[in-house]
Amino acid sequence: MGTQAGFWRWAALAIPLGVLVFFFALPNALLLSASFLKSEAAVLTDELTLENYREVFESRLFRGAILRTFVVGVGVGLLDVALAFPLAYFLVRTTSRWKGVLIALSLAPLLASVIVRTYGWYVILNRNGVINESLMGFGWIETPLRLMPSTGAIIVGLAHALLPYAVLTLMSALNAINPNLERAAMSLGASRLRTFVHVVLPLSMPGLIGGFLLCFSIAISAYATPAILGGPATQTIATQIYVNMMTLLEWALGSALAVVLIVSSMAVLLLTSRVGAKKAAP
Amino acid sequence: MVGIGRANGFVSRRRFVQGTGVAALAAPNVLSAQTPETLVVNTQGGEYQEIVEATVIRPFERKFGVRVTNDATGTSAQDYARIRASRGAPGFDVAAVLNPPEILLGQREGLLERLSEREVPNLARMWRGMEKVVPPFAAPHTLQYAGLIYNKERLEAPNSWSDYWEPHRRYGDRIRGRVIAYNPANLLSVYALIHAAQLGGGSVNNMDPAWERLRAQKPFVGVNVTTSAEGVPHFENGAVWISPFWSGRTGYYIDRGLPFGAVIPREGVIGLFDCCAVPVGARNKRLAYEFCNFRLEPDVQRAFSLAYFSSPSRPDITDWPQAFRDQQILTQERFDQIQWPDSEVIGAQRAGWTRRWQDIMA
Repeated sequence: MGTQAGFWRWAALAIPLGVLVFFFALPNALLLSASFLKSEAAVLTDELTLENYREVFESRLFRGAILRTFVVGVGVGLLDVALAFPLAYFLVRTTSRWKGVLIALSLAPLLASVIVRTYGWYVILNRNGVINESLMGFGWIETPLRLMPSTGAIIVGLAHALLPYAVLTLMSALNAINPNLERAAMSLGASRLRTFVHVVLPLSMPGLIGGFLLCFSIAISAYATPAILGGPATQTIATQIYVNMMTLLEWALGSALAVVLIVSSMAVLLLTSRVGAKKAAP
Repeated sequence: MVGIGRANGFVSRRRFVQGTGVAALAAPNVLSAQTPETLVVNTQGGEYQEIVEATVIRPFERKFGVRVTNDATGTSAQDYARIRASRGAPGFDVAAVLNPPEILLGQREGLLERLSEREVPNLARMWRGMEKVVPPFAAPHTLQYAGLIYNKERLEAPNSWSDYWEPHRRYGDRIRGRVIAYNPANLLSVYALIHAAQLGGGSVNNMDPAWERLRAQKPFVGVNVTTSAEGVPHFENGAVWISPFWSGRTGYYIDRGLPFGAVIPREGVIGLFDCCAVPVGARNKRLAYEFCNFRLEPDVQRAFSLAYFSSPSRPDITDWPQAFRDQQILTQERFDQIQWPDSEVIGAQRAGWTRRWQDIMA
C-alpha cells in the first residue's frame, strides 16, 4: 500500500517535471546553443562564436530595442497598477447587488482577442483616426498629430490589454485586508488619506508588486501590440526576434536576442520580487 | 445457411464481440481506401487564396481525382522558416509560393528536393535564361516585377524611380507624409533600394547611394509597413499617394476600381518569380511533383495569370487580351529587359540591409 502511494507521489512529481523539461528546459537549451553558432548568409554553421551577442550589444538599433522593451514593461506595469487599484478597491468593498456583474465587466476585455483590441487602438490613434478627425473637426488642430507609431501608443495598447490581470491580482490582495483595520484607523482619528497611505497601501503591497510583475513580464515579451502600434523607430526585442527568426531567417541572432530577453527579464523579476518581499515583510 | 459462430440460430456473444472488434480495426483501412489521395499545398491568403483555388487547386483535384488541402498562411520566408524548423517536414507537401532567396537557402541546407524535367516535364518550356535566376530546386510559376503605383486623383504619373526616392523634387511639399516605405524584410523594399542605389551610380554590390536616398526620403514618409498587403489599406484610404508595388496585385486592385495608376519607370524594373518547391520530408512527393508540373500547364498558367494580373513563366502561350499584353511580360524580348539581381548577394546582405534601414528610419 505504502509502495503504491510512493509510486503515485513520484508520478505526480515526474509528469509535470517531464513536461517542464521537454517543453521548457529543452527548447530553451536549444535556443541558448543556437545563439552561440555562427551564421553565414542565414545558414547556421557548427562554428562557435560570441559574434551574435557582440552584435546585440554593439548595435545602436538593438540597444535601443532592449531599452524600449523595458521602458514599455515598466510603463505598462505602473499604469496598470495605478488604474487597477481604485477599480479593484471599489469592486472588493462595494456591497452592490451588481458586484458580480461589475467584476465580470472589468474582466470583459479578456474575452476579445488582443489583436482585435489593438486594432481598436489603431483605429483611434492613426493619422486619420478618431482622435485626429475629432480634433480637426473641432478646428483645434490643422494637421494630424503623430500619435502612432510611438512608444506611448504601445504602452497604452498593452496597458489596456493587460489591465484585467492587474485587477485580479489586486482584488485578491485587497480581499485579504480586514475592513475593520480601516475602520479602526479612522475611529482613532486618521483621515481617509492617512488610512489609505498607512494601512491599505502597505497591506496591499504584495498585490501591487504581483500585479506589476505580471503586467511587466507579459508586456516585455508581447509581439502583436508593438508590431501594430509601433514602427521602425519603436522596435522592441520581441519584434526584432520575430524579424530575425521569421523574415530574415537569421536564427543565431534571433536566438541571442531571445536569450537576452529571457535573462534580463528574469533578473528584473528576481530583483523586484526581492525588493517587494522586503517591503511586504512586517 | 448457418452463419459463422451461430449457436442455436443466434450469434454468440463472443463471436459478436470478435466480429465487431475486427470490423472496428479494419474500418480505418476501408475508409482510407475509399478516401481520395490527399495533398497539402502551402499558398497565400487574401485574394491570392481565392484565385489559386479557382484556377489551380480545384482543376487539379478534378483532373487527378485527389483532394488538396490549401494551407493559405505565411510569406515565403515564414514558409521556409517552417520547413527549416521541421527539418524538411513542415506538414505540407508543396511550398507553392517560395521566392529565390529562400530556395537558395533550401538548396544549401538540403531541405528542398531537386526538381528536373524528369519530375516536372514542363520545366523544359520555361523562359530562356530563367535557370540563371531560379536554382534547380523549384518550379517557377508566376512572374511579377516591382513597379510604381500612385494615386491618380492626387498625383501626376511618376516616370522615374527618383520620383519615389526624391518625391519633393517632382511633387513639392504636398507629398510630405504621403510616401510609403517598406521594411527590407520584404523583397519589394530590397528591389526599390537597389533602384535607389542605381540612381546614384551604385548597384546590388554597392548600396551606399541607396542609404543616402533613404535619408533624403525619410521626411516625406508617412507610413512604414513590412508586407505589401499591409500597404494596401493606406492606399485605399488616401493616406499614401506613391509606392513601389508588385505588378500582379496592382492590376488586380486597379481592376476592382481603386484609383491607382501603375507605371514601369524609365530605368526599368526588377523581376521576381514565385515558385513551387517540394520539402525533402513531404509525405506525397509523387503528387507534389504532379502539382508542380500542373501549375506550369498552359491552361493553368493562362487562367491564373489573367485572374491575378501576373505574367506566366513560359513564353509559348499566345492570344492574350491586348490590355493584358501592355502591362505583362509575355515575350522573350521583354523578359530579357527585366533586371535580375543576384539572389545570392541579396540573401547574404538582406539582414545587414534591414538593420541599416531600421537604423536610418529609427
